[in-house]
Amino acid sequence: MEFSFLFSQFLSGLTYGMILFLVASGLSLIFGVMNILNFAHATLWLIGAYFCYSFWYLMQGYNFALWVSIPLAGFACAAVGWVTEIVLIKHIYKRELHEQLLITYALALIFADLIKIVWGPTDRLIARPPAIQKPVFIFGAPFDSYFIFVILAGFAVALGLWWFLKYTRYGHIVKAAVFSREMVGALGIPIPKIYTWVFTLGIFIAGFAGGVQAPIGSVNLGMDIAIIIQAFCVVVIGGFGSLLGTLVGAIIVGEVFSFAILYWPAGAMVLIFVITAAILIIRPWGLFGTPMRT
Amino acid sequence: MAEHKNNILKKIWMPAALFVLALILPFIVTEFWVHVLNEILILGLFALSFNMIFGYMGQLSFGHAAYYGVGAYTTGLLMVKANWPLFVTLPISMVTAGICALILGYFCVRLRGIYFAILTMAFGQLVFYIIFQWYSFTGGDNGLQGINPPAWLFKTNPYYFFTLVVVTIGAIILWFISESPFGYTMRTIRDNTERTEFIGINVQRYMLINFVIAGMFAGLAGAIWGPFNRSVAPDLCSWQHSGGPVFMAILGGPHYFLGPMLGSVIYTLLNAFVTGYTEYWPLVSGIVIIIVVLLLPGGVLGVYKEKFGHLKSKESTTLEHGGS
Repeated sequence: MEFSFLFSQFLSGLTYGMILFLVASGLSLIFGVMNILNFAHATLWLIGAYFCYSFWYLMQGYNFALWVSIPLAGFACAAVGWVTEIVLIKHIYKRELHEQLLITYALALIFADLIKIVWGPTDRLIARPPAIQKPVFIFGAPFDSYFIFVILAGFAVALGLWWFLKYTRYGHIVKAAVFSREMVGALGIPIPKIYTWVFTLGIFIAGFAGGVQAPIGSVNLGMDIAIIIQAFCVVVIGGFGSLLGTLVGAIIVGEVFSFAILYWPAGAMVLIFVITAAILIIRPWGLFGTPMRT
Repeated sequence: MAEHKNNILKKIWMPAALFVLALILPFIVTEFWVHVLNEILILGLFALSFNMIFGYMGQLSFGHAAYYGVGAYTTGLLMVKANWPLFVTLPISMVTAGICALILGYFCVRLRGIYFAILTMAFGQLVFYIIFQWYSFTGGDNGLQGINPPAWLFKTNPYYFFTLVVVTIGAIILWFISESPFGYTMRTIRDNTERTEFIGINVQRYMLINFVIAGMFAGLAGAIWGPFNRSVAPDLCSWQHSGGPVFMAILGGPHYFLGPMLGSVIYTLLNAFVTGYTEYWPLVSGIVIIIVVLLLPGGVLGVYKEKFGHLKSKESTTLEHGGS
């Protein structure tokens, strides 16, 4: 097999990994801070994709339509996430694990049907702007030019989150809340407010990721179902609450999937679950995580 | 002695009344509702088996549909491809689902809490994708069609009574297991895993045995679903399907043996009503789930016992003070 072909396969895997990272980073952030595994995360991601489509549809005469729609989708989703947190999620922080899981699972069902009511059951397709219609050639192998944007967007979000957590005051508070929320509360920082904004930030990233996903194929119902489990896998492999872990986990899953499709297409998904299960058994807290506090 | 007798009566009147009701109902209601009743029983057994892990062992399995699916596919494949009679396939389905639960459970019982939930879910998806991708053997996403029960069970009512017998036997066996010393060991593990380990009980082995039992009865439920529905599809194993028993157990009351069955009654009836009016069943069920979880702690039976029970049941008290 040629090097150029393998390299473009590697880039496809990286693209898929970046989509997974964008979905999983919000999931991991929310779990790390508030200990809630949000089943509805991927459904909010899908809502982001539909938002992106709608914004693009309203502005489709303009060349910049898509590039504006993607961040707008993030903000629209963040608004949905903010309302959800205030109305519902707020009341389940102190509940038991199964109640939290069941509530967010119910949210996923509700959001999925709301999508069906608002946007209908037909697939939605975004026509790409001329700048990304033609493939680029890397070492002579054709490569979808939009994928380059996806990879850049993924790394940009990773860098942005890293900078936020490392260098801003709010980032420090969030990190401190992961360690000990009692201590943070005792210092006079309003924990409920922090929770609301962390949840909103997580959903913003999910909505942005949905926007990034939208032009790749068609946007359709049921996309969330496949990706939520893979996002769980990413978070488990990398370690809950670890940004670097989520990035590495996403790239592992993306690349494994991309190359397994070449050699053993039927087993690609199976392989990902096997890796996830192996990690869970050997290191339940993941490659970069720390053992969970109780 | 008399008191003892009274106790047994107290314990048995409700299941007995339910059983008699289940016997009489098909002669009163229309065929559609007999169909619904059949579904209630099968999903009820599925939820009862799930509750062995959740209510009695205190771990949340979000991949229980995998064993249900394995049972359904075993029966389906044996009946369609090998022409085996239904009665022979039932125990075989229990065994294959049990073996599947043994292999996957061996890894699952090493974990607790959220990790247990995710691993069971990942394994559930693993089974789902194997069945989904293995076209030549399972038919992939086309599923298997033409799983016809024998002629004398072909009509709705006979098959319903067949289901009733199988589910009742299954439920009685599960009840005896849950009331046996083994069942009480499970409760001990649920209430305080660490202390159970300290008194010299091999927690992992007990959990694994329980996991296998739960898997076998989920397999049995799946095995009677196939001929009832005349077909099976990979969806039976998916994580969405695993959410069903979780909700039924919590809805009915996971701390009571018959709670999940009651949950199945309410959930399935609601489903039958709602789908008659609107296609947005997930939306409605999601709202119901949220209301139940937020407002009905302990499920319908839990709330009922609290309001109308003369004595607070032994179990709910151990649960409330468990682990302290």
